[in-house]
Amino acid sequence: MSNTVRFWLMVLPGTVFLVVFLLLPLIAIVVFSFWRTESYTLIQDWNLDNYATIFSHSAYLTFLARALVMATCVSLVCLAYAWPVAYFIVRYGGRYRLILLLSTAAPFLTGEILRVAALQQILGPIGVVNMALTRFGFDPIEALMYSNMATGTGLVYLWLPFMVLAIYLSLLNFDFALLDVAKITGAGPLRAFVEVTLPLNRAGTAIGIVLVFIPTLASATTSQFLGGPDGALYGNILARQFGSTGTWALGSAMGVVLFLASALALVIVWRAVGDLRRSGIVIKGAPKP
Amino acid sequence: MSDCMLRLQSVTKRFGTTMAAESVSLEVGQTELFALLGPSGSGKTTLLRIIAGLDAPDEGRVLIGGRDVTRLPPYRRGIGMVFQDFLLFPHKTVAENIAFPLKMQGKSRAETADDLKWVSQLVRLTGLEERYPHELSGGQKQRVALARGLVSRPSLLLLDEPLANLDRELRKRMEVEIRRFQLELGIPFIYVTHNQEEALTMASRMAVMREGCLEQIGDKLALYHRPATAFVAAFLGSPNTFEGDVVGVEDGRAEIAWHGHRFWSRAHDGLAPGLRAVCYVKSEKIAFASSGAALAGRLRDTIFKGQYADYLVCLDDGHEITVSAAPDLCHRPGEAVGITWAADDGDAFPAVGKE
Repeated sequence: MSNTVRFWLMVLPGTVFLVVFLLLPLIAIVVFSFWRTESYTLIQDWNLDNYATIFSHSAYLTFLARALVMATCVSLVCLAYAWPVAYFIVRYGGRYRLILLLSTAAPFLTGEILRVAALQQILGPIGVVNMALTRFGFDPIEALMYSNMATGTGLVYLWLPFMVLAIYLSLLNFDFALLDVAKITGAGPLRAFVEVTLPLNRAGTAIGIVLVFIPTLASATTSQFLGGPDGALYGNILARQFGSTGTWALGSAMGVVLFLASALALVIVWRAVGDLRRSGIVIKGAPKP
Repeated sequence: MSDCMLRLQSVTKRFGTTMAAESVSLEVGQTELFALLGPSGSGKTTLLRIIAGLDAPDEGRVLIGGRDVTRLPPYRRGIGMVFQDFLLFPHKTVAENIAFPLKMQGKSRAETADDLKWVSQLVRLTGLEERYPHELSGGQKQRVALARGLVSRPSLLLLDEPLANLDRELRKRMEVEIRRFQLELGIPFIYVTHNQEEALTMASRMAVMREGCLEQIGDKLALYHRPATAFVAAFLGSPNTFEGDVVGVEDGRAEIAWHGHRFWSRAHDGLAPGLRAVCYVKSEKIAFASSGAALAGRLRDTIFKGQYADYLVCLDDGHEITVSAAPDLCHRPGEAVGITWAADDGDAFPAVGKE
């Protein structure tokens, strides 16, 4: 078998996957987004009306903005929560590291709907938190359930394991002895973190942010169950186009806008990481000066 | 010691049931290059980490420049340290790595530039400032690590096996360089190594460490030529070992009977007639002799080492003795030879753990 044949055999599975599951659907929604829908049927009638609708009705952009704010907040909360968790597991987990890491993902064993339902049992009007508050004579906190706060809580809970995983993997490759050097050369704990630990795990952290931000931006289920009457996000409106209203062309256009927003977020995060050498990443085969 | 810069007072450190340091007391003067020598696991790195403040001692005190720093974190001790695997910050350029201690001290841009220039010249790194650590050779990394340790003009520099990862040629050069830095800066260097050649080359004074204890501290020549304990005698140089019976002790000398031969040696505490003794004689202190030889045998092999050669002499009763001497002696394998050494070149200690 020649090297060329072997090369194409290796490339084939990945290529097929990307074409069938990424490229073709993407092309389809881009194409559909320039058609129109009538009585639940797509009609090939090239026009820009769908985009005009999205950008002229403030409702669509408002929902997109809400989704962006939600995704940003959820990413930041996950970031702040995941760093200490991942750091602790890597630094002090010893031989239990893997078990500790997997335990952060344990809720995944139950399925998405069940996890959201479980949150309802905790945060809801007759959930554990509010029942306890009432029992001790306090007023229940209504914002806990059927609000953006509830959606945010649910999304953090849902996506936190991905952030922990990304930072965990990054820290596994981090040489903690560098912190000894930082200490001896005059850096207190905070300085050492800012100067050494954080930059050397910047790329891993960025991957974690992307892993949380992008699915959150598109999410619909969590806000549907926890968000209450005013909690709809872009994802919910998008889902509606393919469901009750049956306006698939408009939905496709909304999908294209979502895709572009996600791509823009990726670019921004990537730019923030900047020169990979500043994150201690050596690119093999890079020319030496 | 009047100019004592570092003082350890009964420093003890345990890891579980292992004694990493057992009541270690030590003084290092202002201008010394002091070597801590010991086999791996002897606790020398732990001792260095205690001096640095990276580990806290269970008991005892650490004083730097007369100030008790036992409870101070490393970043308040004003010392420099160079590590075995260099540990440069991979995300910082050479200049940023070296300037890191200055940045932590909040020095101004001008001062930083001055200090960088000074230290780059000292360790001969000029021209590499903008490179990243992965673009440097092993020797260059070593220089950057040294520069980073020295740039803030610490009161003390700790070196933890800094040359262990360099090849032989480079190591030889760096040994000389490090001595030069120490002389130019006039601050004490404390140098941890398991390589006796390094310690003997560089140090002015040294200590040999074993299982958390300091076996002997002193001038390096004293340790080499006048070992105080059996461990030091066996550890330094490449000695021949003779285990025999003490026949008599007088005037600080002991007569040892060994496989039908008798010879004199310096006697250490605890030797008495009738006891078993171990006698160490460094291989280069044994000489070939045609007459009046203490022992007779045949030359089995010659191992040429360049500046000297090891002659393996097989005695008539089958024991093998190594003699180090000039490489050009015209002895041929199989030839009958006699060997001898002066009484003061042997060190006899009571044998431990055997009858």
